Amino acid sequence: MKNWVVKILALSMVLVLFVGCSGSDDSSDGANDTVSNDTEEQTDTDSTESTDDASEGDTEEGSVYFLNFKPEIEEVWQKIAKEYTESTGVDVKVVTAAAGTYEQTLRSEIAKSDAPTLFQINGPVGYESWKGYTKDLSDTDLYSWLLDKSLVVTGEDGGAYGIPYVVEGYGIIYNDAIMDQYFASASKSTSYSSMDEINNFQALQAVVEDMTAIKDELGIQGVFASTSFSTGEDWRWQTHLANLPIYYEFKDKGLGDAAEIDLTYGQEYKNIFDLYINNSITKPTLLSSKTVNDSMAEFALGQVAMVQNGNWGWGQINGVDGNVVAEEDVKFLPIYTGVEGEENQGLCTGTENFFSINSQAPEADQQASIEFIEWLFSSDEGKNYVTNEFGFIAPFNTFGDDETPTDPLAKEVLRYMADDSLTSVSWNFTAFPSQQFKDILGYSLLDYAQGTGDWDGVESAFVDGWKDEKAATAQ
Amino acid sequence: MKSTKKRTKFEKPLILFFVFLSAAFLFPIYEIAMNSLKGRFFIADDPFSLPTEETFVGLLNYTEGIGKIGFFQAFGWSIWITVASVAVIIFFTSMTAWYIVRVNNIMTSGLYYLFVFAMIVPFQMVMFTMSKVANILRLDNPFGIIFVYLGFGAGLAVFMFSGFIKSIPLEIEEAAMMDGCNPVQLFFKIIMPILKPTAITITILQTMWIWNDYLLPYLVLGTDYKTIPIAIQYLRGGYGSIDMGAMMAMLVLAILPIVILYLFGQKYIIEGVVAGAVKG
Amino acid sequence: MQKTIKRYFFVFVFPTLLAFIVVFIVPFLMGIYLSFTEFTTVTDSTWVGLDNYIKVFQDPTFVRAMGFTGAFTLVSVISINLLAFMIALLLTRGIRGTNIFRTVFFMPNLIGGIVLGYIWQLILNGVLYKFDRTLTFAPEYGFWGLVILMNWQMIGYMMVIYIAGIQNIPGELNEAAKIDGASRWQILKNVTIPMVMPSFTISLFLTLTNSFKLFDQNLALTGGAPAAKTEMLALNIYNTFYGRTGWEGVGQAKAVIFFIIVAVIALTQLNISRKREVQH
Repeated sequence: MKNWVVKILALSMVLVLFVGCSGSDDSSDGANDTVSNDTEEQTDTDSTESTDDASEGDTEEGSVYFLNFKPEIEEVWQKIAKEYTESTGVDVKVVTAAAGTYEQTLRSEIAKSDAPTLFQINGPVGYESWKGYTKDLSDTDLYSWLLDKSLVVTGEDGGAYGIPYVVEGYGIIYNDAIMDQYFASASKSTSYSSMDEINNFQALQAVVEDMTAIKDELGIQGVFASTSFSTGEDWRWQTHLANLPIYYEFKDKGLGDAAEIDLTYGQEYKNIFDLYINNSITKPTLLSSKTVNDSMAEFALGQVAMVQNGNWGWGQINGVDGNVVAEEDVKFLPIYTGVEGEENQGLCTGTENFFSINSQAPEADQQASIEFIEWLFSSDEGKNYVTNEFGFIAPFNTFGDDETPTDPLAKEVLRYMADDSLTSVSWNFTAFPSQQFKDILGYSLLDYAQGTGDWDGVESAFVDGWKDEKAATAQ
Repeated sequence: MKSTKKRTKFEKPLILFFVFLSAAFLFPIYEIAMNSLKGRFFIADDPFSLPTEETFVGLLNYTEGIGKIGFFQAFGWSIWITVASVAVIIFFTSMTAWYIVRVNNIMTSGLYYLFVFAMIVPFQMVMFTMSKVANILRLDNPFGIIFVYLGFGAGLAVFMFSGFIKSIPLEIEEAAMMDGCNPVQLFFKIIMPILKPTAITITILQTMWIWNDYLLPYLVLGTDYKTIPIAIQYLRGGYGSIDMGAMMAMLVLAILPIVILYLFGQKYIIEGVVAGAVKG
Repeated sequence: MQKTIKRYFFVFVFPTLLAFIVVFIVPFLMGIYLSFTEFTTVTDSTWVGLDNYIKVFQDPTFVRAMGFTGAFTLVSVISINLLAFMIALLLTRGIRGTNIFRTVFFMPNLIGGIVLGYIWQLILNGVLYKFDRTLTFAPEYGFWGLVILMNWQMIGYMMVIYIAGIQNIPGELNEAAKIDGASRWQILKNVTIPMVMPSFTISLFLTLTNSFKLFDQNLALTGGAPAAKTEMLALNIYNTFYGRTGWEGVGQAKAVIFFIIVAVIALTQLNISRKREVQH
């Protein structure tokens, strides 16, 4: 008796293991099989591969798998996904990539049998990497709702492969209350008396350096928040800040992209970067352990007066426990660097967030994904999330004038955009060669800041890195 | 007698030395435990100061952390995967080892050396291809991963079982077979009990490996089914808001089960580890 | 008897073998094949011959990682074994509390890599902060941080192995030597150390391979920062696979090279040590 029991136990355990690994038509033995099966071709953008994979989702309606780029709104996405599933029955899965890892996470996920159906590309450069997976969306409602169709990422055939879903702006966020305190101070040594007078680098530098001198009186620990350089946290400097010299250089040359750059505005880049690190709450040698969150917390807790970031940062300021900054005191200042005529410069506005639909996913999933984002940007519940919880300025005509975000930073962005006397700095970093380029630039900036390198290193990382990476990715 | 007298002279200073060394060894653990009770902004810059009235937050970090990373789910997955995998490994590899040792032909010898070979191969060599295979075969879930661990754990386990089995006298088995036992009965009724000490050793080694494993579960399961190491890395990996307080609390919770287990069974664990190393 | 057992192949060997082949052998062979190709998924590859291997050695991060890993391994192996042996010597004198101390020193070994990395990150950053520095300021900081971490984790484990080895020395040998008038140092040199050689072999093997293949702790402590200068080989390979698009083939080639290096080191060390053991 015992004998039989034992045998059955043994065999059933083996069977359980087999059940665990069965379920698809592909057999596993031998490398030969898998190599010849060849289910993934990446040539035509429009071909929808109906693979012989076992069903993706469970329903005929298809399901959605979105790979999110913005960690700061992850929780909201989860809420949205849950609500959408509850009301429509369509399965929505949202996964967020850690800061600085979007490309690699997408690459790893897209190769799986359960790949993202909805993802992002960052612009024309991202499109080049992913064009094998992007679907032409020019005949969708979403496309038709765009206020400015020239912003779309287009392919050589004119199709629309990336739809911008948010307009954002960044600049120097400042705490007006602290600035007022400075202007009213008897110990100040500059003659400026209001923020309106700060409209170029000279003024900014004078005020900031003076504030640093009397920071104790102002009750702050530094004028600027930490220039964060933890791994993956340096995008504000190697991408956003680096945008300014490139914008001006391209403007001079009348270009939108180039295989090589001269960094003609390198000095201006250095100007503002020096200002940041020399008037900071954190000593330069400690910067490699600071994160963007640290910086936003420093601002929220009133320890610093200024922090460079974008309007998406509002959630981070607002959400900090012990936040002491009042909403009406949170304002934007353009990033002045010392360029002639910058008195007319506005904030840096644009987008690097383009939705794409996975053209290799099953047709039903593609449709479900399109329907999902169309719901998000046209239904009342969806628009409420977009405007009030994401705080997005959405570039679609489905949003009325009263359906714009009410957080102070978004309002500032809109104010600057509406001001005709100011010219926005466009987002040219969508033309940056690659993530590798940005990373290397970031390393060189950190070295310079810490004192383990010099500014020449930054310049050569910028110029040589640009050239090398453009060449490498052009293949 | 002469020797004991000699030792006593040095005993006191030695004990003192070791007490000091032990404190140094335990210090890191004390550190995170202490910091887990401080508010999240007061940790990174000053980890060595005790919680003061201002900085003490009681169990807030624990509740925050548990919520943020779903610690209990992670704990559950870690337990399930570890226990199930180890059980499966012990069950199947012991049988395999016995077969290989008793049936002596070219194939089994070849198999034996293949298993030994597997122990040297670093994980990076197979990690990419293995995760793709696992994905294709739908093994990328908390059940399939047990199959994966069987494959990976087989090398060491078969090797160690074989070593021990070689020392079991054949007469016992031959006698049993003459009494009419078939091999399966023989194995489970007679051999397995004898294998107990080695089985315990292997259990301990494999448990330590699988419980603390990060990369294999991460590549196979991704973030859909987080084990404790994956959950910790997820909390820290530059992700959204890095809450130092929650981080500390989670580190404490991650260590707790192992430490408790250790305190109860340290005699066995240490003996097992030594036996494992010596046999290797 | 062999013949009877032989028929039960399916029950005894098949499950283990299946898992082993699917999860290990197949990925291993695929890995070798793919190292000669440029691929994005395992089904989509183009043959490029030795191109990847050439790229590997042209990649400055790989060469640097190799140097870093080599240096780290050298320093760690020496320090761990030296310290563990010394402590083992002191703990085999029968002083009171030996068991407690043994328990304490071994405990760090139970804690997993990721958790360990973050614990030490907190402590080291805390200390460095007083000097206005952080762990990722310069690669040397990361290097020594890893060495400290490794020592903390492994000393207890190796100590336990050495203790077992020392305790196995027949008491008569020591007595005989003392009667012959040998000094303590001479006993150490001529009796203890030679008799402990097998433990030394094992310990050397374990510290060597563990240090060289280190991943989890590396990832957690510094993540390779600054500027990938504290990346050890395993982390470098991982980042090549998952961090740079289009470099998967190179990553696989790196993994193959890594495997070869580890295998050579392990086998060479075992060979040399075994030879020395036999003599005694």
